[in-house]
Amino acid sequence: MAISLSHFLLAKSLLLSLVQAATVTYDFDIGWVYANPDGQAIRPVIGINGQWPIPTISVTKGDRLIVNVQNSLGNESTSLHFHGLYMNGTNHMDGAIGVTQCGIAPGSSFTYNFTVDQPGTYWYHSHAKGQYPDGLRGPLIVHDPEDPHKDLYDEELVLTFSDWYHDLMNPLLAFFMSVANPSGAEPVPNSALVNETQNLTISITPGRTYLVRMINIGAFAAHYIWFEDHTMQIVEVDGSYTEPTDADMIYMTAAQRYSVLITAKNNTDANFAFVGAMDQDLFDVVPDGLNSNVTGWLVYDDSLEKHPPKDVNAFEPFDDFSLVPWDKEELYDKVDRTIRLDLKMDNLDDGANYAFFNDVTYVRPKVPTLYTVLSTGPNATNPTIYGSNTNQFLLEPNEVVEIILNNDDPGKHPFHLHGHTFQVISRSDDEAGFYDPSSSSSFPSTPMKRDTVLVRPNGNAVMRFRADNPGVWFFHCHIEWHVVSGLVATIIESPLSIQSQLANKIPSDHYDTCLILNSPTAGNAAGNTQDLLDLTGEFRSPGELPAGFTARGIVALVFSCVAAFLGLGVISWYGMMPVKAKTG
Amino acid sequence: MPDVFAVPVFFICFRECLETSIIVSVLLAFLKQTLGPEHDAMTRKKLIRQIWFGVAVGVFVCICIAAGVIGTFYTAGQQVFESAEYIWEGVFAILASVIITLMGAALLRVNKMQDKWRVKITKAFEVRDSSLPVKGRFKRWTEKYAMFMLPFITVLREGIEAVLFISGVGVGLPAKSFPLAVICGLAAGTLVGYLIYKGGNQTSLQIFLIISTCFLYLVAAGLFSKGVWDFEQNAWVKLAGEGAAEAGSGPGSYDIRKSVWHVNCCSPSANGDGGWGVFNSLFGWQNSATYGSVISYNIYWLVVIVGFVLQGFKERTGHWPLQKSSAKEISSDTGSDHATTGKGKQGGVVSSNVREIQE
Repeated sequence: MAISLSHFLLAKSLLLSLVQAATVTYDFDIGWVYANPDGQAIRPVIGINGQWPIPTISVTKGDRLIVNVQNSLGNESTSLHFHGLYMNGTNHMDGAIGVTQCGIAPGSSFTYNFTVDQPGTYWYHSHAKGQYPDGLRGPLIVHDPEDPHKDLYDEELVLTFSDWYHDLMNPLLAFFMSVANPSGAEPVPNSALVNETQNLTISITPGRTYLVRMINIGAFAAHYIWFEDHTMQIVEVDGSYTEPTDADMIYMTAAQRYSVLITAKNNTDANFAFVGAMDQDLFDVVPDGLNSNVTGWLVYDDSLEKHPPKDVNAFEPFDDFSLVPWDKEELYDKVDRTIRLDLKMDNLDDGANYAFFNDVTYVRPKVPTLYTVLSTGPNATNPTIYGSNTNQFLLEPNEVVEIILNNDDPGKHPFHLHGHTFQVISRSDDEAGFYDPSSSSSFPSTPMKRDTVLVRPNGNAVMRFRADNPGVWFFHCHIEWHVVSGLVATIIESPLSIQSQLANKIPSDHYDTCLILNSPTAGNAAGNTQDLLDLTGEFRSPGELPAGFTARGIVALVFSCVAAFLGLGVISWYGMMPVKAKTG
Repeated sequence: MPDVFAVPVFFICFRECLETSIIVSVLLAFLKQTLGPEHDAMTRKKLIRQIWFGVAVGVFVCICIAAGVIGTFYTAGQQVFESAEYIWEGVFAILASVIITLMGAALLRVNKMQDKWRVKITKAFEVRDSSLPVKGRFKRWTEKYAMFMLPFITVLREGIEAVLFISGVGVGLPAKSFPLAVICGLAAGTLVGYLIYKGGNQTSLQIFLIISTCFLYLVAAGLFSKGVWDFEQNAWVKLAGEGAAEAGSGPGSYDIRKSVWHVNCCSPSANGDGGWGVFNSLFGWQNSATYGSVISYNIYWLVVIVGFVLQGFKERTGHWPLQKSSAKEISSDTGSDHATTGKGKQGGVVSSNVREIQE
């Protein structure tokens, strides 16, 4: 009852803000530029309007955001995903290629147009296969006139943390997904960046309190983050306000966000370093000479020295599980639908290493899943039509969904769900194994809410959300390497509601780019519009590794045995010759 | 088992020891014949003692040399080999295979080896008789102690040969796999040598030799295949780096593009699956067979089969197939050890000579 009431109030406030809402327009010409953010290597990066780092998108809650994209890359398709935005009623603007749109073909243009009804710290990035680490990633800040913490700070700062590669993603991906990398070792970044640079200095006015919006826009590495001699007070994670909570060090996985309040000291006696330290546990092999830290300084007095950061004894970050959301949204305790996802990594018969949910690795369908929903009428409720490699789950309107994620892999994985924030109701330590529903009964009454959650090595996590946002939503590991190796599920939420929301409302530029790329826009996952259950020709993953002896193995073994026996026979014949000669 | 018993080492020891014991037995028989009961027992005893003394000293020197060679090998060679382990293992596996193949056939002609040595020894004594008044203290010393020198030199020669072969074959093997194999090889060689000396049942002896030769060739075939496999694995480890090492015997430990079969168990190199190592040593088993390893295994057998058939043909007819039998190459020639392609240098000695001399 309480929930529906709050929804009602929210809707009313939305209506109010819509009245004064503005339209914010960005014209983005996406193209290659050169950059050298760590001073070690000049490389091509994907910039916007000839600039890199790319601009911060800044809107106020309730605004309409229009982004006109022109793809001038020449050699790659692209797209923009606005990470964390619910896209309620505008699923087709979510930007995920193969899910809600085709890639924006080189030379063509595409318009994202939607309203932003949620406050907080977000980011936007390419959702084309493995592309954003080449540079197409930037902050998206939604200001909130009704921010409950607005009286607590004087000024806002945005800090992005990220990892950086000296090589382009395409060659790195070619190696990563190849027979030469059977263990699936992710390429290790060459350096860490803050605001896409290093040794950043921030001028601080004594006594002021800053709202520092921190975003991990990296491809892979999580960051330990601390400000020397300054305490962080967490007030927002992933767009959800929290009860202010103190932390000395936080752990921010790829795609997570933290807004923290930092109060400046009252004197200008010294400057203070802050550090983003990439979590080396993620790296298969730490190369010699890798500086996995990036340092910046809170500068109180520019004439004073900026000391290198002090060593820390151990990484003991704040555990975000204990955060309490500001709206005190209560635990969804009645679950209508449980989705269990068992994660593993394994090799397929091309020798490369793939990631699996429930033994299926994701391969994008020929037709973006949203277009399959929109073009199949009543059949849209049949999961089969969405393909064999899409890990699809169909949800009924408004049911409470529980995702149980069992990590059968010794790596850390940050999982992100498009279109929702979820309650994180349970998260195990390392090596806890699979989730056991019978032994876990006490959940937090007001669980923390995020859109990206860390799942620990060989551990598990349980998330719940209400299916109140019709759309096709990606659920995936936000390590970009793992998106490519298939650690993705497709959540198809109320397909018939999607049809009623979006039928005939997809702008023509969406379909035009499909046409240019020769991608079908209707039918099942294979593009078949006649027999929707016929998936012939769909994109499939490589086959499984042959198990032991196949026909050719048996033939080879038999052949070898016959050869050996023949040989032994001839040797015996030769050996008996003199004996025969003697006796005969 | 390959951890404690190196099969190739066993066969090399067996073979070299057999040859040595044959020589010793020929010498003993020679003494028995030449110094019959009419000669005084004292001289005979003294000469017999000389023979055994020569054997003992030869063995001792060999052991010293072996210790030195293997010692240097393991200390100095270790780093060199470790950096390119698979290449070295491959090279030595193929080398060992070739060595075993070439000398294996000689086992089947051990009886003839006896004849060969009889000729040699007699000749040695003849030479001494004809060049009597000559010179030098050394010469005189060697004449006086011929019964010491002959076995000493023989043991030394065979021993050094064994040491070199073993260090070649054994470079990829752990040190602890040597002692048992060496001891068993020596014991078996001595036993068979003794049986030959005693002139036991020729047929059953020959059957025993055939069986051991068969094993020898199985081992050699396996080694040959493993050598090729090692080269391929080296290329794979270079390509896949850390990943291949991490994978154990699971996916990623082998190159799927070259795989003929792969079972995620039964790896000869995995420490737990000891039994499969025996299969690997004896038959060349691989849990992850490649095109290279399978094809090389079959080619090896093809070559061996053709080789033996040709050899058999020649021994029977006196000439190679497709070759006209010439008058000069008469069949008596085959008496010596043509079977050992690698070592048949004294093949020209004609067996009829032996009889002449003995008379």
